Amino acid sequence: MPTLPVFRDARYFQIIFQVVFLTYGIYYLHWSAEWWLYLTYLTASGVTQLFFSIFFKPKPAILFSTDWNRQFMRTVPSFLISSLGLSLLLKTNQWPVAILAAVVSIASKYLIRIRGKHLFNPSALGIVTAVYLTGQAWISPAQWGSNMVILFGVLCLGFIVTTRVQKLDVSLAFLLTFAGLLFYRQVVYLGWPMDFFIQSVSTGSLLLFSFFMITDPKTTPDHPWARIGWAVAIAIAAFYLATFKFMNGAPIWVLVFAQPLVPVLDRIFPAKKFEWDNREKTTPKEKQFLQAVYTHAVM
Amino acid sequence: MKRKLMIIGAMIGISPLLYSFCGFYVSKADGTLKNKTSQVILVRDGNRTVITMYNDFKGDTKDFAMVVPVPVVLQKSDIHVVEPSIFQRLNDYSAPRLVEYWDQNPCEKYAYDELKQMAPTSAMSKSEDKASGNIRAKDLGVKVEAKYLVGEYDILILSAKESGGLKEWLTTNGYKIPAGAEEVLDPYIKSNLKFFVVKVNEKEKQKLNNNFLRPIQINFNSPKFMLPIRLGMANADGDQDLIVYAFTRKGRIECTNYRNVNIPTGQHIPLFVQNNFSAFYSNLFDKQWNNEDKSVGFLEYAWDVSPQNYLKCDPCVAEAPSEQDLVQSGVWWLKNKDWNDYSDIDNDEPDNGRKNVHFTRLHFRYNRSSFPQDLMFQVTPNTENYQARYVITHPATGDLNCDAGRKYLQDLRKRRKNELVQLTALTGRNLDNWEEQASVDNEDEKMSNVQYATLLPEVKADMAGNGNGPRGILLISALLLGTAGFLRWKGVV
Repeated sequence: MPTLPVFRDARYFQIIFQVVFLTYGIYYLHWSAEWWLYLTYLTASGVTQLFFSIFFKPKPAILFSTDWNRQFMRTVPSFLISSLGLSLLLKTNQWPVAILAAVVSIASKYLIRIRGKHLFNPSALGIVTAVYLTGQAWISPAQWGSNMVILFGVLCLGFIVTTRVQKLDVSLAFLLTFAGLLFYRQVVYLGWPMDFFIQSVSTGSLLLFSFFMITDPKTTPDHPWARIGWAVAIAIAAFYLATFKFMNGAPIWVLVFAQPLVPVLDRIFPAKKFEWDNREKTTPKEKQFLQAVYTHAVM
Repeated sequence: MKRKLMIIGAMIGISPLLYSFCGFYVSKADGTLKNKTSQVILVRDGNRTVITMYNDFKGDTKDFAMVVPVPVVLQKSDIHVVEPSIFQRLNDYSAPRLVEYWDQNPCEKYAYDELKQMAPTSAMSKSEDKASGNIRAKDLGVKVEAKYLVGEYDILILSAKESGGLKEWLTTNGYKIPAGAEEVLDPYIKSNLKFFVVKVNEKEKQKLNNNFLRPIQINFNSPKFMLPIRLGMANADGDQDLIVYAFTRKGRIECTNYRNVNIPTGQHIPLFVQNNFSAFYSNLFDKQWNNEDKSVGFLEYAWDVSPQNYLKCDPCVAEAPSEQDLVQSGVWWLKNKDWNDYSDIDNDEPDNGRKNVHFTRLHFRYNRSSFPQDLMFQVTPNTENYQARYVITHPATGDLNCDAGRKYLQDLRKRRKNELVQLTALTGRNLDNWEEQASVDNEDEKMSNVQYATLLPEVKADMAGNGNGPRGILLISALLLGTAGFLRWKGVV
């Protein structure tokens, strides 16, 4: 069948997702749209990407040469995705903080690499750095509300993307563990009614995290069981911090700190290094699509 | 003898989510008691929270008692009474406001710019809290942890093993628990909360020689920053309003388990709204609350009220809270002397920002189905000011019979039409509802074609065919995405 050109690069698909979420937030949920902030993220990410595309990967290129052009154009969706990810999650009143977050996100992709994989989820690292280092940025866990419609939408959309690379195991392991612990704590142990529990698990933030952030195969262990165990451990830690330490945005925090474990787990549980689909007959084009989705899967 | 017991929950527990805070009436008589607007002052920095509760209980002080769930056994020095006037001052200062401008006559040389503010009249009713009754601890798993006399109140701090015991204890002591309360008490008890029962000491009350009860202020250390509202829903069969006045050192507070929405602000509305601004705002609030699916907290005001900040409001509708008011509200870091037990708090930041005070006013309207959880909050570094402010403009007066004047009248006509559109958009009320008020507005005969009464039918006609905005766009986006995903799945693209 013919391929629609816009979907040839899966990252555009990812960008559409993010733009829809941002639009939904601004126009339907009435976020106070901080256009200057979105613009700062965009510009800072772009400039950083430009910098690294000149001096780093794969070899330094001459500015505005054909080679460089091609190389840089390929990275455009990548920094769009990073800056949209920050726009969706990170709030601040201070432009230097916004720049810091954007620079950290992009730079980490180039500077912190182990075995050819970047170690941290770029947006998650940018967010954690900005929130905990400067104290002048914050995330609003309740910004999506607990609307069942968004729960359903995110679930379906996330599902489609995730199943394509069989990484649904990470999402489900995390989500089921986290929700299970919450259920036990809230409903079984404390005796709250069901809607109390539903309110805690139907938040958009949790689902976006489960389906779009933790699933990045570049930053998850290769071995299936190691991967599941890793996700379960993150869920337990996040549950503990959220429940007993009252931490906001605990999953993102835990994820960043769990990512350095990935190379260790990969060493202990050797597995075939992540191949963009190693069991099904996927066309190269599809492989490219999936690869692109997961390299940049960042909400 | 008749007694009423009001439970206000201040709590903290181990559960991941929040517990309850405001207004829970328990009545011995089978009367219909209902909470109206509760007001609470929250002060938060580090792990310390100061909560001041004000309730609109009306009646004989003998009939009233209040039960407050708290995270720890409070010491006597953790409990204070404050003057109720502080709530009135905070409300006046931060309430949504109407501002007034005057057009200048373009045909005249001199100009006068004037700006006036009108204080809105969102009056909150005064409350009286009364308590009575003799409470005896029984072997029901209920333990009296402490007993204090603070101001006009007798205070008991109870811990309970299970809700049945607590319920029985309260019943035995003459308090009737409404249906559903037991179920709500249970999770709190399991979270290891203490309950304190407050009632009025009639002797002390008489010494004070006033006919109201003062708000109670408690402070404690806990990482949890929340307001228990679930308890208050036990017998509330309707929507209850809650106004939270919060003070922090760092910036605004926001709710972490319900959406935060800024109430619309800055719109130009018709002149005649000045005759009934409270009605306008209450319609506006209803409309926005329904629009946002109810499970939201509205931001009505946020400002830097640090003593060193010169501009405490702009425009000011009432006097800004003084340093003394802040201290009375519980802003302990402005006091030269800290709390007696303040030494255990670890927020000795350097001088930088030591005296900062940021104020946030949040307005919730909750009910059982929209608010299954208590309110959880976080302090954010957001220091931006915000106010709910609506603008009316008086037309120019005098002879407008010049070129500029005719042009002005044309513009005025357009502007007033927009104001009417804005009015319906904000309040969700059909323009018919405003007809009467619009026609009251009688100005110069010459201006008849710019009068609201004249414009109203025109605007109504214009508005007849209006679609729905963002919802449609979103639906289309979702549809597109879904299709794309499906195509992708089928391998078409």
